[in-house]
Amino acid sequence: MSRLPTHNPSSTSLPSAAQTLTDPEPKQVDAAVLDYLLIELTNTLKHSAAVANKRLKEREAELIKAGLLAPPLPRKDHPGVRDSMNSTTSSTSNRNNNAKPLDETEEAVRVRLENIGMAVGGNLAERLSRSRSTRFADPLDTVKFLCKDVWSAIWDKPVDNLRTNHRGIYVLQDNSFKPLLRISSSQGSQEALRRSRLYLAYPTGLIKGALQRLGLLGVVLPETTTLPQCTFQVKQPKASS
Amino acid sequence: MVKVNAIALVSPLNHPIIVRSFSLSDHLKYNYVAHTSLDVIEERIALGPKFMDCYLGHLYSLEDVAVYGYVTPTRIKIILALELADAVVRDADVVAIFKAVHTAYHESMSNPFLRLNTMVDFTTDPSSLLNMQTKEWKGLEQRIDNIGRAIGSLPPEPTS
Repeated sequence: MSRLPTHNPSSTSLPSAAQTLTDPEPKQVDAAVLDYLLIELTNTLKHSAAVANKRLKEREAELIKAGLLAPPLPRKDHPGVRDSMNSTTSSTSNRNNNAKPLDETEEAVRVRLENIGMAVGGNLAERLSRSRSTRFADPLDTVKFLCKDVWSAIWDKPVDNLRTNHRGIYVLQDNSFKPLLRISSSQGSQEALRRSRLYLAYPTGLIKGALQRLGLLGVVLPETTTLPQCTFQVKQPKASS
Repeated sequence: MVKVNAIALVSPLNHPIIVRSFSLSDHLKYNYVAHTSLDVIEERIALGPKFMDCYLGHLYSLEDVAVYGYVTPTRIKIILALELADAVVRDADVVAIFKAVHTAYHESMSNPFLRLNTMVDFTTDPSSLLNMQTKEWKGLEQRIDNIGRAIGSLPPEPTS
């Protein structure tokens, strides 16, 4: 693929071919394409995860029949226990819906989406850090870069609110998070909220991957209470020093 | 115009990603040069919050090379060994070369097929995917050669 030479008026005496390599012409893609891709991606991965899961279960069943693997313990108790815990600890129906863990296939899809997000996020952070000429002074600086530059690059607006306890926990709040803007369900807003959790997996991966590339290892937890508002909690592991 | 003898890339965990020398001899020497540069870079980084520039400038000089360093915000270290010459070396030129190398690294890392056969998870160092020991992925090497050719440190590709 050949690149058009850029006519950068710069102070270097390097030949123009080198200048092209320094600052390649940005390639442009229609923004709507990414939105469509993500919607289709989630659906396709649901099918693919279901197929992979089925294959795994069949192999497990074979092994169990051959006596090489102990049969799994019955799982019926767990959902019941969790439900009763939920209803006693929360009064709003909101929490009930969100606290229920995703079932196996949804969890598999979530993990796949998150891994894709991590790869993309890491590369995006690399790309955006090219235009910076200073390193990051501390983790707060890195998170601020994430909130302003990375967020604007992907979702066209910076994060609305950043809170930190200065001991490794950052809470990023976005009041109209782009991926959640158009989600609606014919079965009401609670159902929409429940379904939207899967669509938060890819952005979570993006954040995680970007932070990892920039040097901050930590857990990222997404949370929504009302669409399209959403918060991401970044928890850094405690330093051992 | 600057004459570059070698370009080295080192990961955030101080593992070498690639050491590419453009001179015809002494490939091992530039491995050594990259290694010593790491110590000097660490010193410069530890200087404190007032020295947060990516471009570290001239690190030190050996018998016939002057070594320059650059640390990207993603903590990748880039080391450039320039031939010692009487002509003044302009900072802007050297920074431009560093940015071109960073671009080459970023483009090679963006290859989605790097992760095809490896289980990459949270804790793996992403730059280890480009480890030159495997010699499967030549993209980074080719891109750095392109940079070398563009600045005149490597002879142009023979048109076969």
